[in-house]
Amino acid sequence: MTGTADLKEFIAAYLIEAEEHLTVANTQLLAIESAQRNGDTNPRGLRETFRSLHTIKGLSAMVGIEPVVAIAHRMENFLRDSDRSGSALPQPAIDALLRGVRAIEQRIAALARGDIAAAPSEELLAALDSLGLSAAPVARAPTSVLDLDPELLAKLAPFEVDQLLRGIATGARALRAEFSPSPERAAQGLTINSVRERIAKVADIVRVLPRAVPVAPGAPGGLCFILILLTRATDEAIAEAVGLGSLNVQGIARDSPTKAVVPDLAPSIDAELDGVDDGRIDTHSRRGVVRVDVSRLDDAMEGLSALIVTRYRLARSIAALTEHGVNTRELSGIMNDNARQLRDLRAAIVRVRMVPVNELLERIPLLVRGLRRATNRSVRLELEGGDAELDKSVSERLFPVIVHLVRNAVDHAIETPDERLRRGKPEEGLLRITCGARSNTRLEITVSDDGRGIDRAAVAAKAGRPAPDDDAGLLELLCIPGLSTRDIVTTTSGRGMGMEIVKRTIVDELGGELELHSQFGQGTTFTLRVPLTISIVDAFSFECSDQRFVVPVTMVEEIIEVDSNALVQVPANEDGSPAVDMISRRGVAVPMIQLWQVFHLQAGKKPPRKAIVVRRAGAPVAFAVDRMLGQQEVVIRPMNDALVRAPGVSGATDLGDGRPTLVLDLVALSASLNTSSQPLARAR
Amino acid sequence: MKLHVLFTLAGVEYALPFDSVLQMEGYAGATLVPGAPAYVDGIVTVRGMVVPVLDLRTRFGLPRAEIGLDTRIIVAECSGRVVALRVDSAREVLKLDIEKNQPAPSIVSERSSGFVHAVHALGKRLLLLIDLPKLLGENSHDLPHALPHADGTTRFQLPS
Repeated sequence: MTGTADLKEFIAAYLIEAEEHLTVANTQLLAIESAQRNGDTNPRGLRETFRSLHTIKGLSAMVGIEPVVAIAHRMENFLRDSDRSGSALPQPAIDALLRGVRAIEQRIAALARGDIAAAPSEELLAALDSLGLSAAPVARAPTSVLDLDPELLAKLAPFEVDQLLRGIATGARALRAEFSPSPERAAQGLTINSVRERIAKVADIVRVLPRAVPVAPGAPGGLCFILILLTRATDEAIAEAVGLGSLNVQGIARDSPTKAVVPDLAPSIDAELDGVDDGRIDTHSRRGVVRVDVSRLDDAMEGLSALIVTRYRLARSIAALTEHGVNTRELSGIMNDNARQLRDLRAAIVRVRMVPVNELLERIPLLVRGLRRATNRSVRLELEGGDAELDKSVSERLFPVIVHLVRNAVDHAIETPDERLRRGKPEEGLLRITCGARSNTRLEITVSDDGRGIDRAAVAAKAGRPAPDDDAGLLELLCIPGLSTRDIVTTTSGRGMGMEIVKRTIVDELGGELELHSQFGQGTTFTLRVPLTISIVDAFSFECSDQRFVVPVTMVEEIIEVDSNALVQVPANEDGSPAVDMISRRGVAVPMIQLWQVFHLQAGKKPPRKAIVVRRAGAPVAFAVDRMLGQQEVVIRPMNDALVRAPGVSGATDLGDGRPTLVLDLVALSASLNTSSQPLARAR
Repeated sequence: MKLHVLFTLAGVEYALPFDSVLQMEGYAGATLVPGAPAYVDGIVTVRGMVVPVLDLRTRFGLPRAEIGLDTRIIVAECSGRVVALRVDSAREVLKLDIEKNQPAPSIVSERSSGFVHAVHALGKRLLLLIDLPKLLGENSHDLPHALPHADGTTRFQLPS
């Protein structure tokens, strides 16, 4: 049965690759659409889209997914013609192309589920076929020609020449700039990459051509780069942006009384594809990039976890030896080295699992576009990403949450254009998503809109509770399971997940925070803060009634001494719920919960001497424990079985004694104590 | 003929299909989990997984017993769930001719809440066959949905 196994693996690789190219196609089509709305063309985007579909078609043909071949083939044909004619894509064509991409996506998703890819509808195929007929080449009459070496000109693709000529026609200047790398310049931080970055701020880089030149003092490497630029900035501005005088800039446009002079020297799009197919030309420069199945990384992480556990055992044995009077100084030195190496190894594996946060964001524009059409809202999307990276598993859990918040914003929050005008707001609503690392360990994501805001009284009425007097209270109401503030289930929202799931994912699963800021009539902002990675955390270990527990450091606000004389007992209910004490912390009354009582453990011989303070919904809560044991990195293993799921327990870890130790989520525990009087009553 | 693992509880012999058993281990106690059902001793780590320990004595309504040298946990898998079953002892692995299984008399089946689905006579010995899905299934409705398996890919840059 190796044949099937191979094919399976092959299909898996095909699905991944196809998805990637579909993402590119989506992104580029949207970029083309938005460029055209501003009166520009985006020939590069068009070519990227073409390449993606060409690859999808080729791959699909290899694994025999004919329905996808049929769709991709038609899209590819049309895109090839458009590229040749250099014309802008009409809006109906963009719509049809996006529909085509969507149709392929659906088939890829079906294959991923193990289903069969359905044949495409005749209507879609006809729509794609008819595109080619309407795409008549647009005659252009450039008034300029490019004053460029024929050799260089030959290296420019037709669309690049076209981009230059169009740019010149709209008043921009076409320039060529030369940069020669040298060790001295590199020492000043000037490499082709940094030059490229700096120039990109003042000019559009149409093409960068490397060229071999004779070795000279100005070009010790015998290499120079020619950057073909389009800009509206002055030469001085460009020189200033790059910050060097060594950049040789000259114009390359010359008036032409005659008609187009673009010689057909440049390779056609098809000729270029010969390179694409064998991987020589790759715009994403994927050289040195390895695609890895996440499960393999999980294996590596698992191995590391085992190492960390072994280290604890070793440390214990050494401690025992020391207690017996053995000289363990050298062993301790080795252990220190070992600790450092483990840290480095861990950091390396964690880094491998990281994906750029922009990968999350790049899928949003398509979503918003779809919502815009489905809801007839006019929405402008502002995305602010960054260089932050986060663990793949966090990213996977985060995405559905962002989708939900975006849907809510467009569907419920942002008003119809008429309504907005009536309220004195701009006709176009604003949806803004920002994403950035807040510290080394946390990522902050905000989703804000300038829509109608949330009506506290209405939500409260719906939930049958008194109106909350702050945003935190409102958020709590919104997260009540099953609460929907809308009676009508619309096509875009109303199904899928509610705020309850958002909260469960962010707070319970990821150990993050969720905040709401809503001003009635003005808009709403959701702020999500999640850890960049999960599974290995820094934790405090402590003891309570002879049982050991750990709690992640990030959750703990403070550890305080408990003076049992300073405890104030609060009158308890008679329903058997755990008693709550109060303690004064810097003049503020903090409720204190006896952990042993909540967990139905035996009372300790002495009253608890320490308390761990956490913050829940802005308010501190203290948990009394017997004693703190230390702080260490722990590997958190999930406890998935329903039999052992308990509020306040987020997993288990191994501290080296071979027995699992419970990892506590004291924030969730305090929440569960509030919502039900006996959350942990034993069935015993 | 099918391989079975034999174990005892309060002097009675039970059998479990071998193919659902991952391993057997000695038992030194589990970590208590607050709020777990009475028949759950707690959790143990097996092969890097955290699994619940079901005390079959309590599950079958028998008096609890101290942990002894013979006490074993049988780690079993059933439709994706892994659990450890605490038993008095487990020593034998036997091939049983399942054609000869007899349906459990209704009174037995009722007394054991349906956990025993058949009886097998082996010479003079009577073996009770455990219905593992039934034993675990009662809680299946509130099982968490399996987390979406990480099927995506990620990339890393090779040092150049």
